[in-house]
Amino acid sequence: PPSLPWPRSFLLKSLEQVRKIQTRNSELLEQLCATYKLCHPEELVLLGHSLGIPKAPLSHCSSQALQLTKCLHQLHSGLFLYGGLLQALAGISPEVAPTLDMLQLDVANFATTIWQQMETLGVAPTAQPTQSTLPTFTSAFQRRAGGVLAASHLQSFLETAHCALNHWV
Amino acid sequence: ESCGHITISVPIIRLGDPVTASCTISPTCSKLAQEPQILWRLQDGPNQPGDSQRHLGDGSQESTITLPHVNHTKAFLSCLVPWANSFQVLDQAELQAGYPPASPSNLSCLMNLTTNSLVCQWEPGPETYLPTNFTLKSFRSRTDCRYQEDSILDCVPEDRQSTCSIARKHLLLYQNMVLWVQAENVLGTSESPKLCLDPMDVVKLEPPVLQALDISPGLVPRQPGCLWLSWKPWKPGEFIEQECELRYQPQLRGTNWTLVSHLPSSEDQFKLCGLHQAPVYTLQIRCIRSPLPGLWSSWSPGLQLRPT
Repeated sequence: PPSLPWPRSFLLKSLEQVRKIQTRNSELLEQLCATYKLCHPEELVLLGHSLGIPKAPLSHCSSQALQLTKCLHQLHSGLFLYGGLLQALAGISPEVAPTLDMLQLDVANFATTIWQQMETLGVAPTAQPTQSTLPTFTSAFQRRAGGVLAASHLQSFLETAHCALNHWV
Repeated sequence: ESCGHITISVPIIRLGDPVTASCTISPTCSKLAQEPQILWRLQDGPNQPGDSQRHLGDGSQESTITLPHVNHTKAFLSCLVPWANSFQVLDQAELQAGYPPASPSNLSCLMNLTTNSLVCQWEPGPETYLPTNFTLKSFRSRTDCRYQEDSILDCVPEDRQSTCSIARKHLLLYQNMVLWVQAENVLGTSESPKLCLDPMDVVKLEPPVLQALDISPGLVPRQPGCLWLSWKPWKPGEFIEQECELRYQPQLRGTNWTLVSHLPSSEDQFKLCGLHQAPVYTLQIRCIRSPLPGLWSSWSPGLQLRPT
């Protein structure tokens, strides 16, 4: 793989954090499936559009169109977005709350790892991003379905991130 | 209004230090003789006169005594006067003595992936004989731990425990933090040396579960002196890239362990050969986070197997 200005320890830690979040996120999806029988995100696409559940891009991180600084920015912005989405799901249910809390912490910690790496490289934006408007849920069902969609979007975001990071280790 | 009253220079002192006390008898104490000799008694020791006794301007009498070396951690000092054929205790003060806390030592921490908390423990140091509070203090930092970023909520251990757990919500994983222990009592404060660590670098891993594989002869021809094994990583730590080592030993007196290193953390089929057929072997496996820094797990429970 091409040599990179990123220290190997940053890449290894980031990969471990991605796997940690993926494991936790899978737990969340399994719990939402077991508890509410919402097991197929593809069945919620229509609802996702009406709720406005966003997807975070990672276009600058693919090996074909790699742009380091923009890739880091996209990683951070994506984690920041999903962190906000997970917060919007607070109160989803007592069964899921512990997993959701831990997931939020893991996502926030990974965002800090990326932000500090940007600072070290001197490419950090001048200010932390501000949260874009998040979906509002008007029913318990919407909140649960929103949770499934957010978690599944996060899972594919992490998959892309893992491939990109793994490519450079 | 009581007849006598004791005042002490310092109620809690360092063991072996001197302490000065005075007992004042008020003039309104009519039942006593005009100028009674004021006496002192430490714990159940002899009654002894003070170093000096004098009149005060308001007509009261004051006796002063200095105990050169207090060597009781807790003692009662009484002020008495002769009365008929005996004595009367007019007042009593409690003396406490001990030591300022020594610096706590051997601070170490482990990240518990089951409770998601950072568990730290330390040596409190010698007994102080005084109520002493220990607090685990910490703050977030950057790579070399020289600068303090956000401070973290003090971790107060349960009574008389030398361990404290910092909850996940206070931890910033994959970043360094600084930790130390502060000990405090009325005689002083001390601090342990500081520890600089990333909680994920001190994860307490559990070993994989080592299992024997039953390979049917049809699939793989039987080879004498071989064993088939499999293992899976400990679930809470499966997101952590690990390296493992296997050790085995025939259950014969005086034999040593043989070590197989650089093994993956998950293995569906592992063939171990070169073993003697007769004896039963004990096998164990352990793992460590790698290539990122980490700590060895303990060895897995011994698996007893007889080679083919």
